[in-house]
Amino acid sequence: MNHRRVSPDALRAMTLDTQPWLSCDECFDRMDAYVERLLADPDHTDVPMATHLNACTACAEEADSLMALVRLDP
Amino acid sequence: MTTTGGDELTHRTTGSTAETDPDDWVLALSLEGPAQEVALRRLHGLLLRASRHQVTRMCAQLGGADAARVDELANQSADEAMVALLAKLHTFEGRSRFTTWAYKFAILQAATEVRRQAWRSREVTLDDGEVTVDRGPSVEQYVEAADLARAVSRAIHEALTPHQRRIMLALVVDQVPIDVLAQRLGTSRNALYKTLHDARVRTRAHLAAAGHLRAVTVSEGVDR
Repeated sequence: MNHRRVSPDALRAMTLDTQPWLSCDECFDRMDAYVERLLADPDHTDVPMATHLNACTACAEEADSLMALVRLDP
Repeated sequence: MTTTGGDELTHRTTGSTAETDPDDWVLALSLEGPAQEVALRRLHGLLLRASRHQVTRMCAQLGGADAARVDELANQSADEAMVALLAKLHTFEGRSRFTTWAYKFAILQAATEVRRQAWRSREVTLDDGEVTVDRGPSVEQYVEAADLARAVSRAIHEALTPHQRRIMLALVVDQVPIDVLAQRLGTSRNALYKTLHDARVRTRAHLAAAGHLRAVTVSEGVDR
């Protein structure tokens, strides 16, 4: 049987609270407006988005990238 | 600068033609004729900018891809993003700038493509074997680390279905990118994230029942 050594980060990722639920598709739908609002106001709060981005590395990577790109726009 | 007849989106300057972005992208892209051609060209430029940005950010995952390879991936992603965007054009509601909305299509496409390329020769194994939580020095950062580690290990074996356990281990422990795993399993990123979400909910419920949820909450750095 395969044994895996689980890192502290993985342990944390396995036990994350991912409520309220938001799907990757919904995250994608909302990502552009979320990024613009966050750039305009760093204190902007969107709990479902923040929760999803904390729990989904792919969506988080894409949101970070979008934010960096939009920041470069005039 | 003057507007040429029949093409409101093309602005002619002395000795050269300079195209500018339309004020109303949706309208411009919905038109027919030269105005649409200009808008499509401008849109492809936007998408290529975003896909190149994304491929460059993730270039390290490609094992030192050269400029030509980066360009190839960026162009391919921009082309595919263009198709995806135009199919969704009617859903643009103006909640953000059109350019921001457009960028995300190219970023998604390019990120997915880079992850797939990075994993194309790597095997993905799905099994639900035993999990041993690393109790190295950093684990001590956790409150009641040893108990929590044992509890999590017990929770994922007792509370999760074999499918949930395999998906959680592949995504979280083996760090297989979610879109790579989706492709290998013939499913969607959405479906896998739902499986992972359900697995986390069950794991947390099991931990709560065993009196370990406080430790998990502290480890997240969230005061609930």
